[in-house]
Order: sequence, then structure tokens, then C-alpha cells
Amino acid sequence: MKRLMTAALLLWSLAALAEGTQYVMRVDGLACPYCAYGVEKKLKAIDGVERIDVDLDRGMVTVDVAEGVTLTEDQMTRLFKDAGFTFRSMTHSPR
Amino acid sequence: MNRMPWLVASLLLWTAPADAHDPIFGLGPHVLYKGGIEIAPEFDHKKAGDRRATDLALELTYGLTGDWSAGIKLPYVTSETGPDRAAGMGNLELFTKYRFWRNDMPGVQESAAVAFKLDTATGTTPAASGSTDALLGLAYGYESRKWYRWASLRWRYNGVDDSGLRRGDRLLLDLVGGVRLKQTGYLEPDTVWLLELNGEYADRAERHGAALVDSGGTEWFVSPGIFWTLRNFAVKAGVQIPVASDLNGRQPRSDYRARLVLEWHL
Repeated sequence: MKRLMTAALLLWSLAALAEGTQYVMRVDGLACPYCAYGVEKKLKAIDGVERIDVDLDRGMVTVDVAEGVTLTEDQMTRLFKDAGFTFRSMTHSPR
Repeated sequence: MNRMPWLVASLLLWTAPADAHDPIFGLGPHVLYKGGIEIAPEFDHKKAGDRRATDLALELTYGLTGDWSAGIKLPYVTSETGPDRAAGMGNLELFTKYRFWRNDMPGVQESAAVAFKLDTATGTTPAASGSTDALLGLAYGYESRKWYRWASLRWRYNGVDDSGLRRGDRLLLDLVGGVRLKQTGYLEPDTVWLLELNGEYADRAERHGAALVDSGGTEWFVSPGIFWTLRNFAVKAGVQIPVASDLNGRQPRSDYRARLVLEWHL
């Protein structure tokens, strides 16, 4: 029984990892939804980006990526600069 | 034929390039994201006494960097003076804008930009000016989730056409406020209400170096407007209502000017 439970837990953990990563970014300058479209377009151009949410009131951009896809701070600094905003920081966690 | 086509042309040539969350009539510091394309059909209509001018244009803008955009405007112009009517392709315009300063804060963007526009003497109708003109502008903007404010100054240098006419140079001052009464989410429709104060000063026109008495002067407009957006689509509309004018000699005063712009960001 113990072995069965351990195996089930292991399988669940692997399945969770396979769901990818969620990045939450703090971005300054996001004041209007129309202007934020450039952010969406640039993030969607990255392979493996599955979902984007822009919270204008909190200045946060949430990006869900597929398993094995990594977003770096340098990459995001450049991306948001090209979109006309300022990237400040980000955190990530498994989905 | 128009009796004074250059007057109608001068009515048509003051418009600023449409750009995202910028004023309807004034100039703002907004540019397009790098690699972005903006397609903007525009409709402008002006009436001054018995003179009417309508400008249907297609404006295409490209984001060269996150702070620098450039574009082209192709207008079709129609002018009427009493019973006389002229219509045809207007002058091709080339424009660029560079945002040289940006201060980003949470939910706030403050920025400043310089803009340049070249109005080529390519029109095929008397309603278009026959001269190559240039416009230089400086714009400041503050936008937050609720409040907006802009200020801009533009100077327009007008060239000489084939008949020796040189329309007077123009100085344009714009002070604009805006408010978003309801803060909506990213994918929801968004509305910003605008109120502009637009001032225009024009030098006297000259023909072969001699000043024309019935030209030039100052006009001030109060201009309510609306900016409605949904994701990458925007509608901008406004009306300029003259509130003060001091025109030289005998010239018709502006009755109103109206503008409607549709914008897609691709």
C-alpha cells in the first residue's frame, strides 16, 4: 500500500511539473489596455507561451509557459523595452 | 475652381499623426512598439464660412524601436467654396516620432517626444498645397490609470508653390486633459474622455514676397473628444469648437472641425 501511494505521489508530482511554469512580472508604465497589446504580441511570439494576463491596476503581467520553457530577466528587460515599458522584476513557480 | 485653394489647403494640413493614446487634435508622445504596424483610416472635416474641406486618409505607421516610429499618410481631399468644388489625391505625408524621455512608474507613464513631418507637393488637386512643407513638434504626456494630460508645441514651415505663393508658417499650441471614469481590465472596452485647448497662430501668406492682407492670424479652439479601445482596436473622435479668433483682414472664421480615426495595431 505504501509503495502504491509513493508511486502515485511521484506520478502526480511529475504531472505537475509537466504543466510548466508561471511567471509573474512587475512592469512599470502600464496605464492603458490598448498600449499593453504590444506586450501581449511580443510575449505570444515566444515559443511555449501558453497564457498571458495583464493586470493594469497592479502593474503585473502573468505568463504561463509550457514545460521546459524558461524566461530570463535579460530577455524580459529587452522585450518590455521594445514594447515601450519598463521591466522591474519577476518571480516564477511551477503551475 | 476654388477662389482661394491655398486657404482650404491650410485647413487640411494642420492635423497631427494619429498615435495610440494621444490627443485627437494635438500631438502626444506615444509611439508604437518595436515591429508593430498601425493602420489608421482617418476622416477630417472643416467648415469656415462658405468653405468646406474634407480629408479621407489612410495612415500607416511602423514601430522601428520601442521609442521610435515612422509612417506615411495618403489623403484624398475634397474642398468646396460656395458652388466650386475640387477633389483628388492630397499631398503624401511622411512622418516620424522619437520618444526621447520616458519615466515609467506603477500604472503611470510619463514621456516626451519630438516629431517631424514632411508634406510633399504630390497632390493632384488644387485643394492640396503645391508646396513641400515641414512640421516639427515637441510633445509631453502623462498618463495614469485615471488621469491624462498632454502639452505640445508644433511649428509648421510652409514652402513656396509653383505660383510663387507661400502660405504663412504656423505655430500650434495644445493643452489637453483626459479622464478614464471607469478603470477596466486588459481585454475589456476602455473609454477615455478628452478636452483639448488648441491654439493656432499663422503668419501672413506671401505671393512673390508680398504679404497678402487677408491671411494669417490666431484661432483658439476647445475640443471635446473620446478615445474608445478594445484590445488592439481604437476609435478616436472629436470636434473643435472655435472660442476666440483674431484673423487678419477679411477671412472666414472657423465654424467647426471634426475628426474621426479608426486604429488597428497589428
